[in-house]
Amino acid sequence: MKILVPLKRVADPDNANKIKIAPDGAKIDTTGLEWKPNPFDEYAVEAALRLTENGATPKVRGGEVVVVTFGPKEADTTLRQMLATGADRAVRVDTTDDALDGSLVARALKALVEREKPDLVLMGKQAVDGDSNQVGQILAELLGWPMATFAATLQEEAGALLVGREVDGGVITLRVKLPAVVTVDLRIVAPTSVYSLATARTHKYADGVRFSALPAIMAAKKKPLIEVPLAELSPDTSLRIAYSKFEPPPVRKAGVKVPDVAVLVDKLVNEAKVL
Amino acid sequence: MTTLPYAFAEEGCYPTPEHRLLRDSVRAFTRSAVEPQAAEHDRKGTLNRKLFAACGELGLLGVTVPAEAGGAGMDATAAVIVHHELSKSDPGFTLAYLAHAMLFVNNFYWNASDDQRERYLPKALTGEWVGAMGMTEPDAGTDVLSMQTTATRDGGEYVLSGQKALITNAPDADVFLVYAKVEGRITTFVLDRDMRGLSTTGPVHKMGMRGSTLGEIVMDDVRVPAKNLVGREGQGVTHMMRNLEIERLTLAAMSLGIADRCLEIMLDYAAERRAFGKPLVDHGQIQRYIGESFAKTEAVRALVYAVARTVRHDTKNRIGSDAAKLFAAPVGKEVADAAMQVLGGWGYCEEYKVERLLRDAKLLEIGGGTLESHQKNITRDLFALAKG
Repeated sequence: MKILVPLKRVADPDNANKIKIAPDGAKIDTTGLEWKPNPFDEYAVEAALRLTENGATPKVRGGEVVVVTFGPKEADTTLRQMLATGADRAVRVDTTDDALDGSLVARALKALVEREKPDLVLMGKQAVDGDSNQVGQILAELLGWPMATFAATLQEEAGALLVGREVDGGVITLRVKLPAVVTVDLRIVAPTSVYSLATARTHKYADGVRFSALPAIMAAKKKPLIEVPLAELSPDTSLRIAYSKFEPPPVRKAGVKVPDVAVLVDKLVNEAKVL
Repeated sequence: MTTLPYAFAEEGCYPTPEHRLLRDSVRAFTRSAVEPQAAEHDRKGTLNRKLFAACGELGLLGVTVPAEAGGAGMDATAAVIVHHELSKSDPGFTLAYLAHAMLFVNNFYWNASDDQRERYLPKALTGEWVGAMGMTEPDAGTDVLSMQTTATRDGGEYVLSGQKALITNAPDADVFLVYAKVEGRITTFVLDRDMRGLSTTGPVHKMGMRGSTLGEIVMDDVRVPAKNLVGREGQGVTHMMRNLEIERLTLAAMSLGIADRCLEIMLDYAAERRAFGKPLVDHGQIQRYIGESFAKTEAVRALVYAVARTVRHDTKNRIGSDAAKLFAAPVGKEVADAAMQVLGGWGYCEEYKVERLLRDAKLLEIGGGTLESHQKNITRDLFALAKG
């Protein structure tokens, strides 16, 4: 199986408090931010690796995983990281971070899918910075491919995927014919979430995404990473979404201490008006 | 675990994107696999063999071994990164790792024959075999050339007799790199646990570094085939000296890891804990602990990583690696001690980890070269370099 995994770099989610907004509110100031792969996209890469191996001998590749990201030259680091965990090839669509929206990314990805002809596009359900949750759905629509979102489990069948989606009150299982677009949720990296045709159903993966082994880090230097100008994939680089203003969430006000329950009840009734 | 800022640009530590990827990978591994087991193995005084095998899977056991021999093919900086990151959570385990990957694997690889590499490396690189190196003896530590272990030629074999003491990994090891004198000349041999006459004692109960085990290697007329002679007779001192730089550097990196972690713990605690109506960080006496700990830690970082770039298996920087370890080891201990002082009674309790890190930190002033041996080496080298 050949799988294309689009991934986005985001400001380190563990240091979200370091994000600053330019004084005029026109954009997010990215200087000094440490970039990490969007966690849901990292999960998608892990799921793609699991789908292209047999579990028991993960170094033997039974398919191809191509990772793609959009961004400037520095975004190569994010791609190299994925090559070091096991992806086979990488494509960087050259552009700047702030000249993108979900629609443009999906239009460019459509052109890339037509070039690469993968059996599956596997990606995070959303990026943890913009939380837009659009690209997978728009891409499936543009391609006219079947789609499954928020996948928690994946099981390969001949020419199809069984996709488990966690919903309120239970799990829905969909059978999607390939080629398809699937977006993944966090439980996709649980030990028994993903099975390729070659992986024994008794196999249990380590929980979470795999670590890059040292030899693989060195080998990743030699794996192909190509650059494609955005306009080559989508001559129309106009945006459908215009951001008018950014502002940080309001600072939380300090609480008050009340002397006794009577005062508390009084405040709940008369000030907060919740009782 | 958070990461505090460095006093200088990261590139000073991580010269290439691969070094940065290595750091990220070892950091993630440390957080999820090393940290959770550290307290338990400290309490029991045992080596975590399963974690050892996980290190093998990650390629850590052959970090400095070239790729064509099954290693990662990385440099001294990479070895420093691995020891630095692992030590933030478990210096005891890291010491066992060092004794294997640096003292055994790195030394063995650069000095062994192709046949020996083929027989020993694969299992040493996966972690199926744990390695130990036997240099120190009951009556010969820093004064290593006075060792008493002998090897006597007997047909196609050597007969080894003697005792090695204070050997990290000895109780767990499957393979041993041992120095012994052939007609008075120090010579290197590789030994297997199942050789007749070879036994180990321990684990010895010790103050810290309890995630690794320590004991003696006893050789009672062990018959060692000549094919297990590493290099040539009399080359032992060369082997020993060739490996010393990377050993000292990685030990210094362990002190850095301890200092980094203790600084982080004391800062977290001082920000939350209040006394006399304000958080500890607003007290001048606490600021002295934090400020001085940071400055010292950064000085260690700069020295260790700068020296790392000058060390390769075929390039010597004895004075630099001596200086790095001489400076780093007391800083690790002092920062751990400062953390305990900031945490007060809580610091003395197991939960906050600094009591373990403080116990571990002390070893680095002794093991792999005492402070006194570094002082001696530096003075001699300075004298030789300056006065010819």
